[in-house]
Amino acid sequence: MMFPPQLPDEPRRPAEVYHCRRQIKYSKDKMWYLAKMIRGMSIDQAIAQLEFNDKKGAKIMKEVLLEAQEMAVRSHNVEYKSNLYLAESYTGKGTYLKRIRYHGRGMFGIMDKVYCHYFVKLVEGSPPKTEERTSLDQAKEYVQGLKNRTIIHGL
Amino acid sequence: MMKLAVLVHNLRVSLLHIENRLLQVAGLDRQLAPALAVNGPSLLPQPSREDEEQQSSEQPPGIFDSILWMAAPKKRRTIEVNRTRRRAESKLIKVKTNIEPCPECGHLKQKHILCGFCYTKVRRETALIRERINAMEGGPLRAPTMETVIIYEGERPSQQDKDKRIVERARKRPAWFSY
Repeated sequence: MMFPPQLPDEPRRPAEVYHCRRQIKYSKDKMWYLAKMIRGMSIDQAIAQLEFNDKKGAKIMKEVLLEAQEMAVRSHNVEYKSNLYLAESYTGKGTYLKRIRYHGRGMFGIMDKVYCHYFVKLVEGSPPKTEERTSLDQAKEYVQGLKNRTIIHGL
Repeated sequence: MMKLAVLVHNLRVSLLHIENRLLQVAGLDRQLAPALAVNGPSLLPQPSREDEEQQSSEQPPGIFDSILWMAAPKKRRTIEVNRTRRRAESKLIKVKTNIEPCPECGHLKQKHILCGFCYTKVRRETALIRERINAMEGGPLRAPTMETVIIYEGERPSQQDKDKRIVERARKRPAWFSY
C-alpha cells in the first residue's frame, strides 16, 4: 500500500506487511476457520496456535506467517520480529480443476478439485484490545435506544 | 431410474395382455381336441387374478405413495442461513490455552505432551545405539540374557555394571544422557 511521505510533525505510521500464498490445495471454507481463529492475535500467539492444530491448512498458514515475519524484518523496516500482530487474515477461492466422478447406472457428476488463496496483513505494534460486549449489554443498549425515542418539536 | 423400469414392466404386461385377448378372439389359443361345447359368451373372463397378485407382489405395495413420503428440501437455503449455521460458536475452532515453552530446548510444547524437538533428539541417538547393537548381535533373536550398559568415549564400566553387556559408542556422552 503506497502512502505519501509523512511530514515531520505527524505521528509515526506503523509498518505494514502484506503477504499471500496462491493455489493452496485446500478448501477455502475449511481454511476460513483457521483464518478466523488467528485474526487479531499477535504473531507469536498465532504461530503457537497453528503449530498445535491438526488441520492441513494450519501447517501451510504457519509457513506463510513465518515468511511474512522474515520479509518484514528484512525489507519492511520492522525492528522487532515479535512486535507484529495480524490486522487482516482471509481466504479466497483459487481456480478449480474439474474432474468426472463416476456414479452407478452410467450416471456421472462433475467433481471440483478445490484450491484457495490465503492473504495476511501484519502490522507493527501490540494487538489492539477489542472490548468484549456481552449479550446483556447489547440488550440494555437496545432498550435504551427505544426509550430515547421522542417526537421533535412536539408538545 | 426405478420409475423407468416399472413403466417398462407395465408396458410389457399390458402388451402381453392385449396379445392374449387378440388370440382368444381369433380362437387360436385353444388346442383342437374333443371338448365340451357350451352355449355362452365368446369372450370368457380371463383368469387374470393371479397375474395381478404376481404383479403387486413384485413391486412394493404403494410404489406411488413412497415417492410422496421421500424427504426433499422445499426451498433453497439462503446464504445468510447457511452462514449462521457454518459460523456458529460451536463450529469455530477453539483457542488452546495449554501451550508453553519447553524448559530444556525452548521450543513450544503442550502441557501434557512431550516436547517434539527433545523427543526427536533422543530418537536419533537411540536409533544409532540400536544400529550398534544390531551390528554386535549379527542377527535376529540373539539378544543375551543380561542387561545392557552404553559406554561413551573416555568412560569405564563401574562396579555395578560387572555382569552387564557393554555397548560402546565412539562419541562424547550427550549432556541430556545421565548415568
